[in-house]
Amino acid sequence: MTQMRLHLTFPEERVREPVIYEICRKFPVVVNIRRADISLDSGWVELEMDGELADIERTVLYLRERGVHVDPLEKSILEG
Amino acid sequence: MNSQSAPHQESEQTRGEGGNASSPKESKIKGLKCRECGRLYPAVAIHICEFCFGPLEVDYDYAAIGRRITRRSIEEGPKSLWRYHELLPVTGAPTVGLHAGMTPLIHAKRLGRLLGLDNLYLKNDTVNHPTLSFKDRVVAVAMTRARELGFDTVACASTGNLANSVSAHAASVGMKCFVFIPHDLEAGKILGNLIYNPTVVAVRGNYDDVNRLCSEIGGEYPWAFVNINIRPYYAEGSKSLAFETAEQLGWRIPDQVVVPIASGSLLTKIRKGFQEFEKLGLVSTNDRLKVNGAQAEGCSPVYRAFVSGKNHLIPVKPNTIAKSLAIGNPADGFYSLDVVFKSGGAIAAASDQEIVEGMKLLAETEGIFAETAGGVTIASLRKLCAEGRIGRKDLTVAYITGNGLKTMEALSGALPEPVGIDPTLASFRKTVNPTN
Repeated sequence: MTQMRLHLTFPEERVREPVIYEICRKFPVVVNIRRADISLDSGWVELEMDGELADIERTVLYLRERGVHVDPLEKSILEG
Repeated sequence: MNSQSAPHQESEQTRGEGGNASSPKESKIKGLKCRECGRLYPAVAIHICEFCFGPLEVDYDYAAIGRRITRRSIEEGPKSLWRYHELLPVTGAPTVGLHAGMTPLIHAKRLGRLLGLDNLYLKNDTVNHPTLSFKDRVVAVAMTRARELGFDTVACASTGNLANSVSAHAASVGMKCFVFIPHDLEAGKILGNLIYNPTVVAVRGNYDDVNRLCSEIGGEYPWAFVNINIRPYYAEGSKSLAFETAEQLGWRIPDQVVVPIASGSLLTKIRKGFQEFEKLGLVSTNDRLKVNGAQAEGCSPVYRAFVSGKNHLIPVKPNTIAKSLAIGNPADGFYSLDVVFKSGGAIAAASDQEIVEGMKLLAETEGIFAETAGGVTIASLRKLCAEGRIGRKDLTVAYITGNGLKTMEALSGALPEPVGIDPTLASFRKTVNPTN
């Protein structure tokens, strides 16, 4: 089992959709929301995701396909 | 993924302090503190609050520091950023980057005249030692702290300045070094790292993939990853830009500063540095200080949030020649926005063309060849002046953070060709107007 800490950013067109519910239904991962700030037109969620590494990677891919921006908790690590 | 453990995770309470730093009886670092919930942690290699996921910051004992630090004690210190060691998060004598900092603060009279500013100064980190960017400051502090914590290996993920600095500093003290880069990085930038003989790992994937992998590696290996598990200490090195500015201005805080925004950490730490000097009575408080930010239009999540008046940042895919500022989802973006809003400052953004014009303007008026980030700063300064946000009499400091030799490709086609002549005086007279 692996745990990843992720920072998800939701654009306006995804804010009202139950995306986190969807990933819990579709993939064998356990999600634990630790911090979030959501408004009408945008929002972010920080969470822990537990599961097999391959399942977590499939979940991240799905989130990206759904238009959610996924970063590690540290956000952009790659600096100039 | 969670534990970013160090080989030796002594807290300040269990370590003695040595060298020329603080008294062994009176520690200056109380520990780390969550910026969101205030929870306290020992001063080890961690960066995230386990309780609320907020970022951790160094928590200083300002009362103890205040009993030791004076203008005179600073002035008698080394001619480097280590003259401010009392306000840097290391416990013993510095061991890495002994010559970083104390770069020139230049009264930019010619550029100021052009922009309508009587009191414009440029903090010139294009000549920082050893790798010609402000990253030499943060890396000197991060690696000194990493060695105190017992690490023998240092790492970073970078496309430029940070990798240069980490590689050079690691070589200078014989630490093992891993640098992670995207596989398609330009050859010139890779060579600039390889000369120091680190292990350069080219990751086959995009920026997001490199980010995710480095986060995983940072959790798996007992390395000092400078901008992950060492980040609370690393970021503090940027305060030295504010300390030097105040001292070089004759112990004064400016009225306006213009700071480029990449991760956002530099801007927040410059503000913090001024606040610390005020708190310790080393300078008079200047309530007029406005902190202004500068971003490239092609990567401007903080600028966009500022313009829209929101505090949510929308991540972007960077598309700019200012590669050293190309951070699509900046870790301290929200905090930098907050500093700008609270100080009454502003953020401007510059197009690629304006960036090149800014680089040329700086070179032509002040003789400083800055990298693209410097072009962003100058172009943004120009806009802020044109908008009337910076006044003629304001004591203004703009931060020039890296050397132009690092981004020569940005000027391709932007400069005039040399004047070609035959090797005769007649050809010279005919082709060149010597009285021009």
